[in-house]
Amino acid sequence: MELRLTPAQDEWREEVRDFLDAELPARWEKSSEWCEDEDFWAFAMAFTRKVSARGWIGLTWPQEYGGQGRPAVDQLIFSEEFTYRDAPLINHIGWGLAAGALLKGGTEAQKQRFLPPIVRTEVFWAEGYTEPEAGSDLASLTTRAVRDGDEWVVTGQKTFTTWGSHADMLYLAARTDPQAPRHRGITIFGLPLHQPGITFAPLPNIGGGRQNHTFLDGARVPHENMIGEEGHGWDLIMGGFYGGNIGAAYMEAQQQLDQVVAYCKRARRNGRLLIDDPVVRDHLAEMDLLVQAQRLLTYESLSNLQSRRPPAYAGAIGTVVNKEAMPRFAELTNLVLGPLGQLAVGSDWAPIDVASGGPEAWFRTSLRNHAGGTSQVKRMVLATRGLGLPR
Amino acid sequence: MDIDLEEHQADLAEIARRFFESRSPASAVRAWESSEAGYSAELWREMAGLGWLQLGHPEPAGGAGGGALELSVLYQAMGRTLAPVPHLESAVIGAGLLAAAGTPLARDLLDRVFPGESVVTPALAEDDAGFGPESIALPGQLDASGALRLDGSKILVGYANSASHLIVAARTAPPEDTAPAGVTLSPATPSGITLALVETTAPGVQLTRLPNTAGYPLYAATFDSVQVGPEAVLGEAGTGWELLEPVLDRAAVLRAAQIQGAAERLLELSVGYASRRTQFGQPIGRHQAVQYLCSDIAIHSHLTSLFVRYAAGLLDAGLPAGKAVSQAKAHASRTARLAPERAHAVHAGIAFISDFDVQLFTRRCRHWELDLGDERYHRERIAAALAA
Repeated sequence: MELRLTPAQDEWREEVRDFLDAELPARWEKSSEWCEDEDFWAFAMAFTRKVSARGWIGLTWPQEYGGQGRPAVDQLIFSEEFTYRDAPLINHIGWGLAAGALLKGGTEAQKQRFLPPIVRTEVFWAEGYTEPEAGSDLASLTTRAVRDGDEWVVTGQKTFTTWGSHADMLYLAARTDPQAPRHRGITIFGLPLHQPGITFAPLPNIGGGRQNHTFLDGARVPHENMIGEEGHGWDLIMGGFYGGNIGAAYMEAQQQLDQVVAYCKRARRNGRLLIDDPVVRDHLAEMDLLVQAQRLLTYESLSNLQSRRPPAYAGAIGTVVNKEAMPRFAELTNLVLGPLGQLAVGSDWAPIDVASGGPEAWFRTSLRNHAGGTSQVKRMVLATRGLGLPR
Repeated sequence: MDIDLEEHQADLAEIARRFFESRSPASAVRAWESSEAGYSAELWREMAGLGWLQLGHPEPAGGAGGGALELSVLYQAMGRTLAPVPHLESAVIGAGLLAAAGTPLARDLLDRVFPGESVVTPALAEDDAGFGPESIALPGQLDASGALRLDGSKILVGYANSASHLIVAARTAPPEDTAPAGVTLSPATPSGITLALVETTAPGVQLTRLPNTAGYPLYAATFDSVQVGPEAVLGEAGTGWELLEPVLDRAAVLRAAQIQGAAERLLELSVGYASRRTQFGQPIGRHQAVQYLCSDIAIHSHLTSLFVRYAAGLLDAGLPAGKAVSQAKAHASRTARLAPERAHAVHAGIAFISDFDVQLFTRRCRHWELDLGDERYHRERIAAALAA
């Protein structure tokens, strides 16, 4: 038990903050992830490359693959500050999912070849798990990869491919053995996207941005780009540890809570400051508890990483709590802000003037629940694999 | 940065779990609940023999060392088995206040409290059953010698029938002259509250049992011109809340740990039942509706354990902990409602039957939920920290 950071860790936090102060605008109206437009892409790419130039992508990875070999707590501090500022750090499929699979199941040659370009933000990866008919039930995916000499030929459709039309590589899960039991016939590949046989169709979303349908029609991927063993892709999918990255999603909520509290301290309703209204105070306390629960789960994840211990309840509890807390958090935000809460950031009378703290938070809630698997699916994992209830 | 328990704390957790599982089976809990004392003198003596009544008190002061973290693993084990002992009242709050006061009388009494020879219990709540300093109104008349006269009533006093002494919080200066209205995390001005050590057999003291759903030995204590000598005033007159607050913070975290232990046991009972009980030709635990009920208990229990560990860790490190304490108890109070409710839903009809163990947890949680500040109290304290 040690709840304090060391002076060196405090200094690291300051260094990250100084960087963000210098590189981000004071008032940030665009919010990442769903907001796919060209201006945002250009800014986010330039920003992420500056982070790369500092050597801060792959902070915890071994130095031989371009990483810094830093401890997980440094990664957490980094994530806390970046998330609090809603910094547009992109390529998270690259430094998250793909790097995680490579570090765990990649060959030495693959690690040498794929990881350094991710560290330098030279190669951008998009996600290729989800299909129109394989969402929550990912193991039912039907995109086929057929061996042809030194290559595999891929045919099928992926969807929800964020930044797909800008990406260089697709982190692909494809069925290589249709005869095998459904969890045993899936293989992971790094599919180069700049080739014929791949087209994208836009999929506009409620956040005002777009994602993509991705059509694969005889696209080719070299056998040497197969990650892990043939037919063992499901193990990489389920054991995904996100490149050793420890996220700090609660800082998004913390930032929003800070915005709402600041508003309550200056705004009056019914002749008194909102902060003096007992009902508002109770809502704020509940929001604080929702943030703190997620923060403590993250601290626990850090301790698990440090002691190389598997997480409690099959690793499902953190996701479930995050996904279920955020709709309630958004609801409480609306209850506190009242009618002004419907005004978009930038509108006159808008109560909050940063995107991640305002009414757009509702879109995030919808995004959060499906990204990476719904809370309902994670509840099933928690109950069966975590608690041992019958399947 | 590390939120894990130390190895010796994890070992103590295991020892305590085994101890209470063998000494406090459900059958014994039922028997003690209907007894006059409400607890087992034998179990209490055995705990004293293990040094567990001194746990969390520094060795130079006659304690056994350790802090809130060591105590929290003990409380989790007591919660799992509903072990009924006046530990929180006497060994944590009573002993904590006696040690903090440090007067000769307090020292003498502490020497009897640590080995379990005497039980000392706090008498705080009054008519409005609020928990903060502004709910303490029982008038205490201080005279020039520093002696105190008490008139009025305290309620919800635990184990008063077994106690040799009560620690009574009285108001000796009006609140408007002292602390500002509302809950304060660190009052800049004295609270105007004075703590008095009162023998339960003193003239003018009357105890009345308060039957309650939890089956907890709760009493009302009435004071009719009760005289308290200056030697029995704990700490400086008018600064009683300052003495109480750190002790009650620790106690609130431990109550939260106890609730978490009970929730953990309810989870085991519910998962076990859902896996065994067959309806519609399959175990009911295969139905997602039942899986949701079970995972609700798991999530709440697990989060409460993290809140407890964090708050206890801050207390032990001497870091500001007021908000974390209130987060822990607010969350635990919610778990104390939710875990039994979900367990009843999983067990359905059978949980309504007295012979079945679930109801023992449900009823005890009714007291623990509301004790040492209910959810509303602690949420207001969180809000006060946010508003500061």
